[in-house]
Amino acid sequence: MAEVEETLKRIQGQKGVQGIIIVNSEGIPIKTTLDNSSTVQYAGLIHQLVMKARSTVRDIDPQNDLTFLRVRSKKNEIMIAPDKDYFLIVIQNPSD
Amino acid sequence: VSGHHGVNLSSRLTSSRRSLSLGGGSKILEKSHVFDEDGNDVTPQPLYQADPGATQAKGSRFFVDEISAGSASDQTTATGSFTMQFARSVFGSSRISSQSTIESVNEEMEDTFSKRDLPIPERNNQYAELCRNKMGNDKYVDRSMLTLNGAAKNKHVQTDTATVTTWDMYDTLCSPEQEETVGRPQPEMSDYQEAVMDSSRAAERSVSVGISASSSVRDVDASGSTSNTESEWQLIMLSESFQHSLLVMERCILRNNFQRQLAAYRQLPVLEDDSQSPALQCLWAFSCELSRGRSISSLAWNKKNPDILAVGYGQFDSGDQKQGLVCCWSIKNPTWPERFIHCDSAVTALDFSANSPSQLAVGMHDGSIAIYDLQNQDSKSSVISSRQCPDKHLGPVFQLRWIQQELSLESLFSVGADGRICKWFAFSGGLDCTDLMRLKSANKKGKTKEDYLSLLSPGLCFDFHPIDPRIYLTGTWEGLIHKCSCSNNQQFLETYKKHFCSVNCITWNPLSPDVFLSCSADWTIQLWKQDQLKPVLGFTSTQQAVHDVKWSPKWATVFGVVNEGQLEIWDLNSSIEEPVIVQPAAPGVTMTSLLFARQTDCVVVGDSDGQVTVYQVKNLSVGVSSQVRQRNRWPVR
Repeated sequence: MAEVEETLKRIQGQKGVQGIIIVNSEGIPIKTTLDNSSTVQYAGLIHQLVMKARSTVRDIDPQNDLTFLRVRSKKNEIMIAPDKDYFLIVIQNPSD
Repeated sequence: VSGHHGVNLSSRLTSSRRSLSLGGGSKILEKSHVFDEDGNDVTPQPLYQADPGATQAKGSRFFVDEISAGSASDQTTATGSFTMQFARSVFGSSRISSQSTIESVNEEMEDTFSKRDLPIPERNNQYAELCRNKMGNDKYVDRSMLTLNGAAKNKHVQTDTATVTTWDMYDTLCSPEQEETVGRPQPEMSDYQEAVMDSSRAAERSVSVGISASSSVRDVDASGSTSNTESEWQLIMLSESFQHSLLVMERCILRNNFQRQLAAYRQLPVLEDDSQSPALQCLWAFSCELSRGRSISSLAWNKKNPDILAVGYGQFDSGDQKQGLVCCWSIKNPTWPERFIHCDSAVTALDFSANSPSQLAVGMHDGSIAIYDLQNQDSKSSVISSRQCPDKHLGPVFQLRWIQQELSLESLFSVGADGRICKWFAFSGGLDCTDLMRLKSANKKGKTKEDYLSLLSPGLCFDFHPIDPRIYLTGTWEGLIHKCSCSNNQQFLETYKKHFCSVNCITWNPLSPDVFLSCSADWTIQLWKQDQLKPVLGFTSTQQAVHDVKWSPKWATVFGVVNEGQLEIWDLNSSIEEPVIVQPAAPGVTMTSLLFARQTDCVVVGDSDGQVTVYQVKNLSVGVSSQVRQRNRWPVR
């Protein structure tokens, strides 16, 4: 368990990482390093996006499933590791 | 529904009719009733009660069956605009208009009554006969009929799940089968729907309550967190899939940060600056707080996964003996090792096994050898050690090698400061060894048997022939290089004398057999051929002890050298006087060991500060794996 905490600290300390959010299966953020309003906003929007992405992947082939999602934008990159119990979301600005 | 009702209606009416018009004689059909779900009697009441005193309504017989055939069209023509649904009203109106055909209708009624009692095949036959009789019969007149279909009414049906997707169906199909194997009860469709409803409700709830709930969302230490989120977080944290997600996430982030360097390492096409001269470009350095300050003693690539590098740390200038450390780094994460193992004593030698690629043999300063299995994170649990072995090395183990000899059986060989080369066997309790060779010292001459141990000179390095693994070379403290055979443990096959200080490293050329290099603390590197007792060539560039020399796995004439102050890349094709590329070490740091990367043009160098730097070799214009040829061209010194 301490390893997990350490890994999270390391990720937080990597260059350009702006925030980490962990959301449970109902869409409620349970751990975050951003402020409240951003966290809630990210959690809600990303939940819908992941549901849509997962539905897309599975509609094409029901035996397939979504394992990772990266959204690259002009200002930063949002990386999402979805699972049935949680979402792990990291926002990074690589050019920082 | 209407048809059903129509039948009922007609049957009941028929029976009532019959009782009125036919009197006895015909069987009275039972009244059939219609009940709804709650058991209420919803049999439709007749719209029309025949007046007992009225003319016997033998007419107005309205045969539902015959309407569809169109045979009773004479009754319906007058009421041509009515459809089946209005059976009762049609019945009613047709009664009025069809008085003229009452008799015939009555006869037909009797016929159909009797028909109703028969089983179906017989009724079919009678019907077929009826149809045949229709032709040319005055009783029957063909008329066409127009049905106006009323406007259809759409009724929306609402279900709990708004959309059903392909994978929804797949999941429902698969999940009972999966859960049978697990042994849990099968979910009903209704449960599933309820669950979906619950989750959607929960999602809505969460969105609306999100603002208030997020105040409880903070780090785990915060006292304001509700117990629910806390325990949920614990559960998630402990799950393997979360740890895997963290691992993948960390590598993604690092890949973003190190994108340029990793692309160069993987030899992806990169935009280059146009300088054409051979150079070394520093890509990155493996370093973390665990390893800072410790001197690197050995490096080893994993035999199966070329991205994994094991690094052994140990302070071996016999100062304060810090605990040894082994870190397994991955190319995909230059900031934190994948595994790290604390060892009891300073690490002096490392090698990965080829047959079981997750096993790492570690040789230490106190002479013991341990084999770790790195597959699981908890590496302390799987280790075999030679502590208990009575024959273990009495001094630091300077080099270890896993060699496949015959029948792809792999054995671990070691050379140590006590002058013995040993072959190790693992058994359930630990390791045991047999002596392969004792490195007898040429200088010391012992008189008695007791001090034969002191006659042995420490062996610092060895290397097995790449093609014939029974032959190996070993270099000693005294500067001698012995060629030995595994089958002869008493005598050396050859002895090569040139160095006058300790031989630090020996390496056979992997591409051009029978050629090997040796480097020594006497500032020189010597190039030998197996059958010549004097070196073919010698190289020296700086007046510093040479710690390590390695051939390039890709180019037969290129080798790398690490001495105390710099890294040198030599190319025998271009120059035998001086190195092609020189990379000085960081100030205050000495470079201690060197490895070429297998599938890429990179070199990893370990130094005394605990850093392993990865350099890319650029613009080294060498023909591909040309043999080290024509040695007679070179002057023999």
